Amino acid sequence: MEDLLRVEHLKKYFANQKAVDDISFSVAPGQIFGLLGPNGAGKTTLIRMITGIFYPDSGTITFQGKQFDPIHDVRHIGYMPEERGLYKKMKIGEHALYLAQLKGLSRPDALRQVKQWFERLEMQTWWNKKVEDLSKGMSQKLQFVSTVLHEPKLIILDEPFSGLDPVNSNLIKDEIHRLAQNGSTILFSTHRMEQVEEICEHIILVNKGEKILDGTVGAVKQQYKQNHFRLGIAPLSAAQLDPAPFDLIRGGEQEQIVQIHEGKSTNDVLRFLLDLSIPVRSFEELLPSLNEIFIRLVGDSPTARQFQPAS
Amino acid sequence: MNKTFIIIQREYLTRVRKKTFIISTLLFPLLYVGLIFGMGYLAESSQQVLNIALIDRSGYFEQTVLDQENAIDPSSKVSLISEKAEDVLHDPEAAGFDGYIRIPALDWRMGNDSIWLESKKSYGSGTTAAVQAKLNRIWNRIKNDSLSIDESKQAILQGSQLSIRPRNLEDKNANANLAEVIGYIAGLLIYMILLIYGSQVMMGVMEEKTNRIAEVLVSSVRPFQMMMGKIVGIGLVALTQFLLWIGFVFLVYNITKATGNGLTSASSMVGAMQEVITGINMPLILFCFGFYFLGGFFFYSSLYAAIGSAVNEDLREAQSLSFPVTMLVIISIALMTTAIANPTGPIAVWASLIPFSSPIVMMARIPYGVPGTVPWWQLGLSMILLILGFLGTVWFAAKIYRTGILMYGKKPSWGEMLKWVFRKS
Repeated sequence: MEDLLRVEHLKKYFANQKAVDDISFSVAPGQIFGLLGPNGAGKTTLIRMITGIFYPDSGTITFQGKQFDPIHDVRHIGYMPEERGLYKKMKIGEHALYLAQLKGLSRPDALRQVKQWFERLEMQTWWNKKVEDLSKGMSQKLQFVSTVLHEPKLIILDEPFSGLDPVNSNLIKDEIHRLAQNGSTILFSTHRMEQVEEICEHIILVNKGEKILDGTVGAVKQQYKQNHFRLGIAPLSAAQLDPAPFDLIRGGEQEQIVQIHEGKSTNDVLRFLLDLSIPVRSFEELLPSLNEIFIRLVGDSPTARQFQPAS
Repeated sequence: MNKTFIIIQREYLTRVRKKTFIISTLLFPLLYVGLIFGMGYLAESSQQVLNIALIDRSGYFEQTVLDQENAIDPSSKVSLISEKAEDVLHDPEAAGFDGYIRIPALDWRMGNDSIWLESKKSYGSGTTAAVQAKLNRIWNRIKNDSLSIDESKQAILQGSQLSIRPRNLEDKNANANLAEVIGYIAGLLIYMILLIYGSQVMMGVMEEKTNRIAEVLVSSVRPFQMMMGKIVGIGLVALTQFLLWIGFVFLVYNITKATGNGLTSASSMVGAMQEVITGINMPLILFCFGFYFLGGFFFYSSLYAAIGSAVNEDLREAQSLSFPVTMLVIISIALMTTAIANPTGPIAVWASLIPFSSPIVMMARIPYGVPGTVPWWQLGLSMILLILGFLGTVWFAAKIYRTGILMYGKKPSWGEMLKWVFRKS
């Protein structure tokens, strides 16, 4: 299937920062795509180029098979920025209508959509309340609705769960899945890895303006696995461990976490244990969490991104 | 529907529906009318009689004559003191007077320009002028009697005079006094609009930035549309307020005219307004007022919008950055005063051509007459320059706005903002 969004060799340099330095990736329709990276990695700049807020210094963005045209294509994009707010004095219903109309919906269309979404997220009673009366979680919900109610083909969510309680988090998560099932493509930017693992199919990892990882969640985990296994056996003695084809990483009463030696297979492990007549209750591969991979890849870079000349 | 129009609609409606707008629109004319009537009332009722002792060495003044004059002008009571003059000189207030005047021994042929009204409290020149006029009327009579000029000769002396007033060859209806008043009012109104609504634009932009709604909006609309929507929306609010006030003035005018002559100050106001409406080219002035109001508003409010986009929530930052712009408006008012005193002088002409001051200064000159005082070419050139001027500031501001609206952190300097303007996009 043709990619919904394809980004090629995108660059954006600021006076003292290579914000985005030659990044390419593509997003298939209906995919939930994770854009990961530490603070200041260039995620927001990248998104601002995709939403037409910034012009790239070089590189191309292809949207729905055509060169990205900010004026017309923003109609098909819904963007919820990390720095998001609302007009405090406006009434909630009017506010949602206003944002929908700015996306290009006619007033009757906007009204129908807003009503539908308010009903689904149980927000009907909010209509005539003012935005300033909303709690942080409630205004997040309103922002989410405003982002998606013009039925965009590409939905870009920057840290959508920050400040949400678990109940509302799950509600939004379900909505994201539902939107993806109905054909929307979701580009999801965060540095919260547990959410990525739950939601995303495909990820890229950005650090210091460069892409350092690209693949499906499963493939990435395979790529960065360290041959860790969980063995359901009783603790081994030091004499038994010495000739073993694995190293013990963590031991417990019931199970041991081990790393299989380079060049040895899982069958070598089983054969070794069988030879010693050690009963094996379970044997399971441990894949690294995205969090571990993330820390391994970007952990050694300084926590604060240093300024660097863009020449 | 055009997105700029949607923004204009929101900016306009949210402001017009606000209680502060309704209250200020209603309250301003009420306060204004209250001020006019109140001042008239105060002037009529609460006059204090100034009690002056006259110590006369010349021997020309008599109490009977003074009493006649005191009856004509009751704002002061001048009494001749012949006895106990020392007591009055020592302490006039203890002797029951506010002050005293000593007339030295002088001849009726010669005046004296160093006579003092001496008192413990200070009195303004207005008060002393009334006393001076009173004594001079008596003095004139003394001179007339000495020269044996009778009443009929006196009437000739006082009545026959050459009176010279300014009249413009191009515009014989022009009325310089009236023009001065209208010029002041028009100039001040534009000054108020520029400062009040200009800072409203700035606050509005700052609100969008601090509320963090700016980035949500720029993913739907161009920053230029956002800025123009805000400026036009707020401009329409200002226009609405003025139309309501003008409507109110005409309403009051018609009501006072219909109900007639209850209060002297009210009917004199009606008279003044009638003079204004008939004596001056009202349609041209109203048209120019509209033009310079909008032109000046666009010129300045786009600068204010640029400043609002560059600063963060700190109001002091905004004030220090907007100081140069506010100074331009205040300088314009200073130039306006010069232009009203001499509406064809070089300062008046230049200041009414240059866009930063033309909205205020030209508006103050126009009531003197077009094309009499302001030739058509000057008016045309001034208008063209103002249009070019505001297109320039809008372009300039849009460049700053586009960068500033998404920048958080340190307040930029004017130098950095200029860099944003001239950087290639």
